[in-house]
Amino acid sequence: MIPLEYWLVLSSLMLAIGAYGVLSRKNAIVVLMSIEIMLNAANINFVAFSTYYPIVHTGINANGQVFALFSIAIAAAEVAVGLAILLTVYRRYRTIEVDKINILRW
Amino acid sequence: MVLEYAWLIPVIPFAAFVLIGLLPRRTLFWEDGGGYAIGGAAGALIISILVIWDVFQGHTLTTTAPTFEWLVIGNFSITFGIWIDQLTAIMLLVVSVVGTLVVVYSGAYMHEDAERRRRYYAEIMLFISVMYGLVIANNYLMMFVFWELVGLCSYLLIGFWYERPAAASAAKRAFIVTRVGDIMFMAGIIILFKYVGSFDFGTLFADGGAATKAAFAESPGLLTLATAFIFGGAIGKSAQFPLHEWLPDAMEGPTTVSALIHAATMVKAGVYLVARSYPLLVQTPDSLLFVGIIGGITALLAATVALAATDIKRVLAYSTISQLGYMILGLGAGGFIFINSGSAIGYTASIFHLMNHAFFKALLFLCAGSVIHAVGTNDMRLMGGLGRKMPITSITMLVGALAISGIPPLSGFWSKDEVLSSVYSAGSFHGMFFILWAMGVATAFLTAFYMFRMWFMTFTGGPRSEYHAHESPKLMTVPLMILTGLALTSGAALFIGEGFRAFLQRAIGVTGETESLSGIALDTLTSPFTYLVLGLVVVGMLIAYRVYYMAGFNRAVFATGVPGTFQRALENRWYISKFYDDFAYKVVYGFAKLSDLFDRYVIDGIVNLVAYLGANAGAVIRKAQSGNVQRYAGIIILGIVVLMFFVLFVLPWGGW
Repeated sequence: MIPLEYWLVLSSLMLAIGAYGVLSRKNAIVVLMSIEIMLNAANINFVAFSTYYPIVHTGINANGQVFALFSIAIAAAEVAVGLAILLTVYRRYRTIEVDKINILRW
Repeated sequence: MVLEYAWLIPVIPFAAFVLIGLLPRRTLFWEDGGGYAIGGAAGALIISILVIWDVFQGHTLTTTAPTFEWLVIGNFSITFGIWIDQLTAIMLLVVSVVGTLVVVYSGAYMHEDAERRRRYYAEIMLFISVMYGLVIANNYLMMFVFWELVGLCSYLLIGFWYERPAAASAAKRAFIVTRVGDIMFMAGIIILFKYVGSFDFGTLFADGGAATKAAFAESPGLLTLATAFIFGGAIGKSAQFPLHEWLPDAMEGPTTVSALIHAATMVKAGVYLVARSYPLLVQTPDSLLFVGIIGGITALLAATVALAATDIKRVLAYSTISQLGYMILGLGAGGFIFINSGSAIGYTASIFHLMNHAFFKALLFLCAGSVIHAVGTNDMRLMGGLGRKMPITSITMLVGALAISGIPPLSGFWSKDEVLSSVYSAGSFHGMFFILWAMGVATAFLTAFYMFRMWFMTFTGGPRSEYHAHESPKLMTVPLMILTGLALTSGAALFIGEGFRAFLQRAIGVTGETESLSGIALDTLTSPFTYLVLGLVVVGMLIAYRVYYMAGFNRAVFATGVPGTFQRALENRWYISKFYDDFAYKVVYGFAKLSDLFDRYVIDGIVNLVAYLGANAGAVIRKAQSGNVQRYAGIIILGIVVLMFFVLFVLPWGGW
């Protein structure tokens, strides 16, 4: 069995990579994809801890797995909404570079 | 017993005050309320005389007097009541006689003030009423209440012609300066109350004041402070140095008011307070010495200023201050005599002088009023030669001047001699009193000089300005004649019945035999000091005669060289008034300006800074809203990192 720490390192790396993508990339599509990577980092954490539950406690607990499925479903919905917003933004401004879209400011 | 009804004495003038103030104008009849005023004053006079008669019969009403609860705080109550003893009787005599005559005199004097006479009579009734209340009070708190009301009434009456700036500012000055003394009086009462737990004279004066001293056994210094503070009240009210400058300014009021303030009310309240507090004062010789020194300084200082005054009323005002100084000095000296030999001669001498002074000073003021009424100016340099046109006024004023100078057998001679001889005998208990006695003798000399300077300048020689003087109406001259009679004869009180000394000394619990009446007379008439003082008085009068009556004396010699410097100092009242003005203008106003700057720049600065931050901080902070989503996200992540760092490292380090 792969030790829990490995999964945690993997999910931390994915979260860091996703955060880097969100902060640094200009293309809104890539930003959206980076958010998906961060979400999946969280999913990996859920599943990993769920898998290791019987080792620490007795019995089985599937809460983590259910949460992971739930978050995948939400991610799908979010992407649909997000892409729709990006499309309308592109129609209005002819660009999807996030640092150009800053009309909500002082 | 009529004594139990003594509370009616202040009530009757007060009723007159209310009636004059509230009745419709057409029911005020004669002189816009003058009738009610005379009625109120006369009613009080009648009851006063009955009370005084009862006291002469040997009755008093002190600790057993009926009282009523004025204020109840928990199980502590403050009661108001009356306190009638020999001292009260003398004060009632003074206030009632002088008050009534002044009100009668006002009937003619105030005639030209038309509509405003109503306010005048109402205020003067209130003034007389609260003065009665003050002298019959049986505790310090009640006394303080009336004390303040006396101050209020003097403010109202001094500022009676308030449209004149000088009168308005004199009224304010009188109010504010006496307030300094009042605060000290209040502090004294509070100290007494803290240690003894009562305001009542009956409690405070128990065992001749020894009970109060016992209550202060742990901190005797505070009793000295308390008595000195109570005397501080008298300094303000009785216009003693250094708070005396309000009294000459108070001459801006109507002359009748001056007469009342100087002879019967206001300034006599201070002397009365010291006399009333005697059982406490004799427990603290240090305070008594202070009392004596202040009295001596005031007597001499005021007499010197009177030498150069040109306003007839100011001469009289300074002579009042000077004579009050005598009374205070006599009380201070009398205390030392009382402590060391148990005799009350200084005390009785002072009150005797108070009584005599009330009569001849009221006389002098009303005469001055008569002169001003005729001439229309206060300035003696513009008068002259009035003696032929106003024979009654000039003769009555001459009697007053002789009385205050101390020419036998007029009243001033007896009481001034009594005061000076008791001050001299106090010298054997404390050397300071020899110096004060010498100051008193010098004052007597100066008094004779300036009184006759005034008389000669006013009534003799030729007119120095245009006026058509005429003798005043009967309503004014009759009170003058009555007061002249009193000024001539009130000195005889020393020898009437059991004698003034034996009568009054019971007020402070001295019951022993006094010197026989013939002994008193013999002592006075054989003492070399009597003739020393008398000689100086005559010399003073002769100098005034030479300088101000006989022709050919060039008064310009006073205006140059050393005498000139001296004269300018006197004309500027020793620069004391100027000192107060400068002090007020430079120090107090400077401090006020400083406070204003502090308020404007520091206090307001803080407030304005807060407002400025509120208004303008947004302009800076809103820059954070750049609209750039990625920057927001970065800040969020940074925040999470800081929070995690805090939770994982800082909190465990702190023991959480």
